Amino acid sequence: MPEAFVPLTDFVNEAKSIPKEHSLDQPVAKWTEEELLDGEIVEAGVAILRTRGCYWSIKEGCSMCGYFNDTVPGGVSDEMLREQWKKIRPSLKGKRYAKIYTSGSFIDPTEVPLDFADEVMSDMKDMGIEKVLIESLPEFVNPKNFNYTNAPKLEIAIGLESSSSLVLDKCVNKRLRWPHFVKVCKSARDNGAEVKAYILLKPPYLNEKDAIEDAVQSAIDAAPHVDKISINPVNVQKNTVVEKLWMRNEWTAPWLWSVVEVLERCKDLPVRVYSDPTGGGTRRGAHNCYNCNKKILEGLKKHRLGKGDLADLICDCKSRWEVMKRQSSLRRNGSEPHGYRNGFTSGRRF
Amino acid sequence: MEPIGHEGLGRLLDLGENLSTPHIVFSHNDLTEATDLESGGSIKIGKSFDLPPKPLGLDSDKEPYLHLSENIAVLDNTSSLRPQKIVEIASKFREEAGYSRLVYAPAVEPSDMPILAYLGVDVFDDLNVELRSSTGWLLEDGSWIKSSSKVDIFSANREELNRWVSKIRNSISNGTLREFVERTSLHNPRVSQILHHSTQLLVEKGAKNHYLIRANNLSLKHPSVIDFQERLSRFTPPVDNMVLLVLPCSARKPYFKSSSHKRFFNTIREVDNYLSLHIISVTSPLGLVPRELEFCYPAAHYDIAVTGVWSPTEVEMLRTQLSRIEPEKHYCKAIVHAGSSSEIMTTLLKERGLETIDTKVERPSSFEGLEVLQNVARMSLNGSEPVNSKQRAQGEAIGLANFQYPNSDFLTTSEISGRMPYKLRCGDLAAISPVVGGFGLTLSGGKAYSSNGGGVVKAENFKLVGDLFAVGVNGHKGDWQIGDQVVIEQKDEITAVGIAKMNPEEMVSMKRGIAVEVRHHA
Ligand SMILES: [Zn+2]
Repeated sequence: MPEAFVPLTDFVNEAKSIPKEHSLDQPVAKWTEEELLDGEIVEAGVAILRTRGCYWSIKEGCSMCGYFNDTVPGGVSDEMLREQWKKIRPSLKGKRYAKIYTSGSFIDPTEVPLDFADEVMSDMKDMGIEKVLIESLPEFVNPKNFNYTNAPKLEIAIGLESSSSLVLDKCVNKRLRWPHFVKVCKSARDNGAEVKAYILLKPPYLNEKDAIEDAVQSAIDAAPHVDKISINPVNVQKNTVVEKLWMRNEWTAPWLWSVVEVLERCKDLPVRVYSDPTGGGTRRGAHNCYNCNKKILEGLKKHRLGKGDLADLICDCKSRWEVMKRQSSLRRNGSEPHGYRNGFTSGRRF
Repeated sequence: MEPIGHEGLGRLLDLGENLSTPHIVFSHNDLTEATDLESGGSIKIGKSFDLPPKPLGLDSDKEPYLHLSENIAVLDNTSSLRPQKIVEIASKFREEAGYSRLVYAPAVEPSDMPILAYLGVDVFDDLNVELRSSTGWLLEDGSWIKSSSKVDIFSANREELNRWVSKIRNSISNGTLREFVERTSLHNPRVSQILHHSTQLLVEKGAKNHYLIRANNLSLKHPSVIDFQERLSRFTPPVDNMVLLVLPCSARKPYFKSSSHKRFFNTIREVDNYLSLHIISVTSPLGLVPRELEFCYPAAHYDIAVTGVWSPTEVEMLRTQLSRIEPEKHYCKAIVHAGSSSEIMTTLLKERGLETIDTKVERPSSFEGLEVLQNVARMSLNGSEPVNSKQRAQGEAIGLANFQYPNSDFLTTSEISGRMPYKLRCGDLAAISPVVGGFGLTLSGGKAYSSNGGGVVKAENFKLVGDLFAVGVNGHKGDWQIGDQVVIEQKDEITAVGIAKMNPEEMVSMKRGIAVEVRHHA
């Protein structure tokens, strides 16, 4: 007996707050990281452009996404975007792989003007970059938005989050429908781009067990339509529904063991499925006990770069995770008592 | 289901099949997981009941707080809700869930269970206990200890949890749930905060059973104590310009039956115009108890260790109680003859600007003490306005009736006769009743009460013999708390008066159990 559709609209909007003032000529961040390019480990250059941000987050937004905190509500002029690009370019020199993020969709022309995007792509191509990763909401994945004159190989990362419409509607607040996702993946690939899918692990409200099942099922569903899949364990970002639920202890970040299980169960899929948990090992990100967080994160990194498998990771806390996972299907939300992962040994009462 | 007992907002329900509430379900046997993300699965309490859908996408900060299936109301997130929020939600339990649904609070800590039961939760589970078991902690009397022995922790903890919840049930049936809650609150800040915030809710909606209060420091927040103290502002002394006599309380209740108070009375009645003396006893945790209110709950139902030392909180409480009586407006002077409490009472009375004489006697009921009392009383009453016994009785009745009933004119405009304590009557409407704790209504009193805002239970048309059962109730008019007097109406006729054993809506929705303990039939 499903009850009437309840959008998270109010809750999402109440959780948000107006972003702090940011300097417009500086990118949000830039760094380098190891990545796999055609089976080879390379150093990728990564940058986040500061923009107006995601149109959806201005209207409502997703329950776990705090990227609007880094945006400029009034928008950023082309001139300032070019200033930012000047500061980003040096870190891309000599790289073969680049990841150019915004706190929204790179191919939303109202967020990143087409002329500017075209210049940037052509610049990267001239610098010898072979492949560039950008992110977008599915609604902008239309060839007219990435029909660049001169660009490296394009990889478009799309937040599928889940293939379940129930999860999208009631846990994530993302207005996406599976058939639409399939359609845009095909369109991107038909036009020469690769597609990377983001799948959430443990969106708010889901318990540990349901979260694992949902992520695995979503990966199975997505695999035929994409080129690789990143499992993104939900982490606690500022001014989000997730943060509210987390502060109230109505939801706890997933276990790293759950990440491992999802990856293990996806290892025979025809595409690469890996995870690089944001905030991993902290209370705001996927974590286990304090004895093994580091070890598991290293294991995940090796797995991501194709240098190791996950089967031999062990820790005492794994049996606690198993109890929790078994029990979680009887729990009505994704919460867990404080201190459980460490065996209630930190002296904290709950 | 049949309500067997109530305490606070908690209820002991007989569910049949040897089951009663507060009830514990064990996840392995009694909870069944849902077949999809949204459904709630089911819970077995004797029979299997569907649970409401999971609260996907909902903000727990917003109403409605309970999620309902046909038989179960779930209070999600109980273990993480703020103490104040829990109390706010508890005040809406029955509005949202009615009385025929069981309120289930999933995944709560054992130490939270007594207070949650006190606030009306009917069903708990062992989910958090199982997590503790898996980490090697042993449950002992509601707290966790690190286990060293080689016992099977899972089954030991399940057994202990079962015992713990059965203690909660026994406490409700013995009227000691409040004590149980106070004990668990002592070393548990969360329980202590919930208890602290729940005082007013319990005063307004809790059952008013006449159980003995074995008082301690926490009893200053006991709902019956607060209720008594707040009502004191409705009390008036029998006649204006009397001399106030402050006496110590006694271990025996009501005080006037104690040997010390008998001696006080015998001493003062030898003084001319002794009817102009009005006795108020000073005590903790109640504060001030005028003679007329000694039958009123809990004045005759508490025990406390008398140390002779007044804490700052207690002094503040006495000050508040005096401000409710406003002695400077009603008395011409005061005599304080209260032993170890004399000094503080003298100070507080003088603070209000009333001329006050402290007899400064250490042992008030000793022979010497009584002699001093008699002399001071004689001196103070000399020249005071005489009060006759009719005036006095009239005033006593008004003071008591105002304290008990919000609109008491219907009682006090009748012919007042007799004297405190036992013989005082308001015409043929009410007479002193220790069981009721003050004026108990007669059938005619009930009729008058029903047309003056009193609670009316509407019952089916049958010959009412003995008590009224819930199955016979089909409606109600007005509001009441368990323990209040109510009037029974059948076919537009008042046919009985008695004491409510259930809440208004509860009587209507329950099919079993005593709704009204009848005192007088037509
Ligand atoms: Zn561990």
